[in-house]
Amino acid sequence: MEDIPLQKIAISGPTLASMIQRVSSSLADSDGLLFGHVSLITSSILSDDDTTDPATSILVANVTGFICSGAPHSFSDTLARFDSAQQAPGGTHLIGWFSGRRRSRLQPSMREFAVTASISADPMLSFPVLSAASWRFSPRVFFIFSTPPAVGQGTTIHTHEYRAYQYHPARETFEPKSVSVVNIGPGFRGHYGNFSPKSPFPLLACESSGSMVMQEDMEVETLSVLAPATKDKELDLIVEDFQISDLGRLMGTEAAAYTAGLEEMYEKMLGKINTLTRQVEKSSARVIELENLNSKLRAAVAGIKKAADA
Amino acid sequence: MASDRFPSFIASQLSYLMNHFSQAIKVEQAWCGSKNHSGVLDRFTLCIPYCLDYIKWDIIYNAEFPLSAPDVVFGPEDEHFHPFRLTSGQGGEEMNPLKSVLSNWSYKDPTRLFVLIQELRNEYILYQQKRAGAVDDDRLMFEIDTIMSREGIEILVSSGPEKPEEVKFAVPLLDMDINKMVRGCSWRHIQKIHLQAVYSVPKRYMSSPSAPRLKLVSTPELKTLFSVEDVKLPSWVSGMCMAEYLPHLEESLRGQIREAVASIDVRRCFIEALAPLFGRPLEAEPIFCRRATFLVASGVFSFMVHFSIPTQFPRQQPGLMLMSSQHFSSQHVPIKSAVRTDYPWSPRWEPSQMAERLFDFLVDEGMNFKKYCNEMQLQV
Repeated sequence: MEDIPLQKIAISGPTLASMIQRVSSSLADSDGLLFGHVSLITSSILSDDDTTDPATSILVANVTGFICSGAPHSFSDTLARFDSAQQAPGGTHLIGWFSGRRRSRLQPSMREFAVTASISADPMLSFPVLSAASWRFSPRVFFIFSTPPAVGQGTTIHTHEYRAYQYHPARETFEPKSVSVVNIGPGFRGHYGNFSPKSPFPLLACESSGSMVMQEDMEVETLSVLAPATKDKELDLIVEDFQISDLGRLMGTEAAAYTAGLEEMYEKMLGKINTLTRQVEKSSARVIELENLNSKLRAAVAGIKKAADA
Repeated sequence: MASDRFPSFIASQLSYLMNHFSQAIKVEQAWCGSKNHSGVLDRFTLCIPYCLDYIKWDIIYNAEFPLSAPDVVFGPEDEHFHPFRLTSGQGGEEMNPLKSVLSNWSYKDPTRLFVLIQELRNEYILYQQKRAGAVDDDRLMFEIDTIMSREGIEILVSSGPEKPEEVKFAVPLLDMDINKMVRGCSWRHIQKIHLQAVYSVPKRYMSSPSAPRLKLVSTPELKTLFSVEDVKLPSWVSGMCMAEYLPHLEESLRGQIREAVASIDVRRCFIEALAPLFGRPLEAEPIFCRRATFLVASGVFSFMVHFSIPTQFPRQQPGLMLMSSQHFSSQHVPIKSAVRTDYPWSPRWEPSQMAERLFDFLVDEGMNFKKYCNEMQLQV
């Protein structure tokens, strides 16, 4: 069951768009990992025989998420050996990887072949196929993103090209696969279950100071120093006890007293969200600052005088 | 764009490659793949000589990440060429030269790209040999078995949806070092003559296999000494194989090359014989003695005579071109004649006699040329 051919590779429109965005906004070439699942879809031909026959069922790889470092060779060493430290988000598996190569031919390169071969050969990375648990699939999906090599610079038209492949270890070939972009609409209803969001809420400790957060000059401690504030715990307590049926109390005699309590809770929630966003904003700014610094250092190494510095 | 350039680390590796590779490598085009550093070229297409043709590989560096080794995108027809694989053998851990150049990549070392390309090309030779071995044709199998022991042989299997499958051989001929035979030669690359033999792979059950298409190809610089186009190839007898064919060809070529080298001295004697009559040459090409220029005066009219002496000298007579030193066209270019060979000539004459006849001819011709120059100038 090793070389099962995929019928197609399905990806949701927003995921594909955000991959393209990441690739095109990164400084140079970049690569990343693809997460998702592989499922066996049995066609609707009714049959008394209930064994899964590969002839009437098709295998589809669903890409539900990805990570992109914004740099080339981010998860493999100089010899293209895969560094398996990356964990797939809950409920998904590593199903392959992608490479974004600016202005180059849309054809797997020497290194891309080696990395794909390395990932697909790792027995630790194989995972069961949904709805056919006896089958296992190892990560063999490969996406390549590029822009055409020979466009004149300064053109205002952005062209992004991509191609998806399934790698066949026995034949050592990349087989082009069709990509089906799943969007919202009646035609795609059958796919909705494949792309349910699974990202957990980030586990960030943060402070909340009620209405005070609206002040512009508020001080926000760095994440490392920040201990869970008591008010935060308070909020957790309130939320824990809260039941939807309690909303019934918004009407009737208790309403006045209860509304105030509810408002306070909302306010605290807003405060928490506000603090979180500010922290995200600040840390993002810091990350960009560091990235720019690194980029400058690398440019110095490469001996490039950067016109953009001026 | 004039401002486009390679960053220094790529430039030094590229120039080392171009200067040290045994054959002439070309950069077909170069472009920029970086977002921030527009105009910094970090990817290019290399044309690498292989089997008397070129293979084109895209070398992808990242100007943003100078420490990383470059990646290579091979030609579209070579999708099965995978020189860099980990799983060779069981562990895949043994180091071949290709792996070691990639794992110890250093952007500071100018030799790295050279080593990388050389290793990849070596792998490519093996890959094409393997492909040729897989071609289902008895005659080709026999040719490959008998001839592969020759050093430096290269094979290219070409097939496309529209053209029939062909196997090309590039067989280096002669083990003589032509560079050493020419005194004071300035050739940078080793001069070689190859026999190109193209076998078309017949469809199964076809009657008799056709003779291969044969052609001699030399390195371009060799043309100043010896033109392979003048060589008449021995005919290919039906049922022959290359191992039979090559010794005859090489024997006759060896003789012709010796003759060509000896003819340098014949040309030198001729130029020297011109000197007593024409005076010292203004300029003479000293290594192959193919060109010489003399100043000739006819009364007050002085003009230059450019001699171009063919490789087949004295069987073929030199071409003369007269160029006035006093008449200029409207573009301020000296007026010159067409190349002329309409003077008395016999290959059997002694060089001194050739020179005398030429001198007499030019004394007469000088007057005509002066008239011609005056007319040309009046037209302006």
